[in-house]
Amino acid sequence: MYQISDEQVDYIIDDLRKNGIETDDLLNNLLDHICIIIEQDLADGKDFQQYYHTVVTRFYTRDIKELEEETTNLLTFKNYYAMKKTMIVAGAISVITLAFGSLFKVMHWPGANVLLLSGIVFFSLLFLPILFLLKVKEVKTTRDKAVIALSSVVGILFCIATLFTFMHWPGANVMRLLSIGISALILLPLYFFTGIRNPETRLNTIMTSVILAGVTSLLFAMVNLRPSTVYEDIRVNSYQLNETVLSEMKQQMLTSELPAETKAQIEKINTLCEKIKSIEKDDYPKDYVLREGSPSKAFFGDGAGIKLIAELRAAATAYNQTHAKAPLPIANSILDAPAHKLGHMYSNVALLNNITQIQLYLASTCCKTGMVYK
Amino acid sequence: MIFSSELIKGTLKTIVLKQLSEGNKMYGYEITQKVKELTGDRIQISEGALYPTLHALEKEGLLTTETIYIGKRVRKYYRLSDSGKKKSKERVSEFAEFVETMKILLDLQVKPA
Repeated sequence: MYQISDEQVDYIIDDLRKNGIETDDLLNNLLDHICIIIEQDLADGKDFQQYYHTVVTRFYTRDIKELEEETTNLLTFKNYYAMKKTMIVAGAISVITLAFGSLFKVMHWPGANVLLLSGIVFFSLLFLPILFLLKVKEVKTTRDKAVIALSSVVGILFCIATLFTFMHWPGANVMRLLSIGISALILLPLYFFTGIRNPETRLNTIMTSVILAGVTSLLFAMVNLRPSTVYEDIRVNSYQLNETVLSEMKQQMLTSELPAETKAQIEKINTLCEKIKSIEKDDYPKDYVLREGSPSKAFFGDGAGIKLIAELRAAATAYNQTHAKAPLPIANSILDAPAHKLGHMYSNVALLNNITQIQLYLASTCCKTGMVYK
Repeated sequence: MIFSSELIKGTLKTIVLKQLSEGNKMYGYEITQKVKELTGDRIQISEGALYPTLHALEKEGLLTTETIYIGKRVRKYYRLSDSGKKKSKERVSEFAEFVETMKILLDLQVKPA
């Protein structure tokens, strides 16, 4: 039987330590195990070091450090594997739902919001928190822990801000700015100066910092490009003002003096306009403030809105044929837009405003009846 | 035939607890050898999985330990604690039920012993 010397024991201890076995308990166990195997199997006079390295490869698949990691993980989390599995499943679900959700959203297909919502929930409320819990146990210093905690907060905040944006909930911009601010002013410097000190991680830190800084700046640039709520308010308000003006003018319309045919035409156009607007407005709950967004699903979903627009176009064209002196302006209005492009060209507020403007134009011609119709 | 490590992974704790419940104190190498012997080399516990499991079982309070110095080396013996003995019985009977269920599920013909 081969006899292992004290120097050889030291050699094994050194090698295991060097390769990442830090827990003394684990080190002792491995050392004893390896020694027994070598003492039993190695013939006298054979090369100890060479045999040791063959033996030790049997213990792992990647490197010996994985035993240390596995031990730490098992000691830290009783349900480490369940967490890891949940994280992977949540990650996969969020990637798939987000990818399909955004495709559905762009194509105006039904179900887009449900997909995006569940994608964001899985990603920001399941995947990221578990990732944080697992990662934070892997690092030792408070600084490293802070970096991981902050990245998670920034990630979650940014996801929720995105969710708020497409759900048209208030507060999205504040959250987005907050997440970008934390990222640029706290996370990035902290990450950079922590990583740059360690020669091993220096290059990686520089590369990741540059990418992070670039992405953060691009996102910040987009925040400023995004139509701010102020502009949105202005457009919504101007639509509502137009509605007020219209109701004023309607009272002054002298329809009683109009020829019966003209009167019927005007009434038909007005009825169609109100029908179109009611589809769009019904999509919003009564107490909900109208916000700018894409035209509603009800408008495009079963094509009811598109059909009404076509009817309105026909009615307007007919009106123009009989009233060539004061035709309705169809060119460059919503009546002129190709049906399949309506949703991309007009926001809901622009759509409502366009229809109201048609009514306003009609009303104005009726108010000057003396000039136009007599 | 040697069973895949995937199959063994979920039962490793049960295997370790059972070995310790039969013998007295054992150290890591001894456990691997005993399992190998008992199964005619068909189940070979990998050291990479055994030691993390032993440490976890110790942390859970199912095992007590005893260390003996052999020259510069330290040999750590493991023994079932009282809660470990209880757990060992639980895990073994749970696994027995699992096997029965799998037999039905996979429609296996049970060979007479």
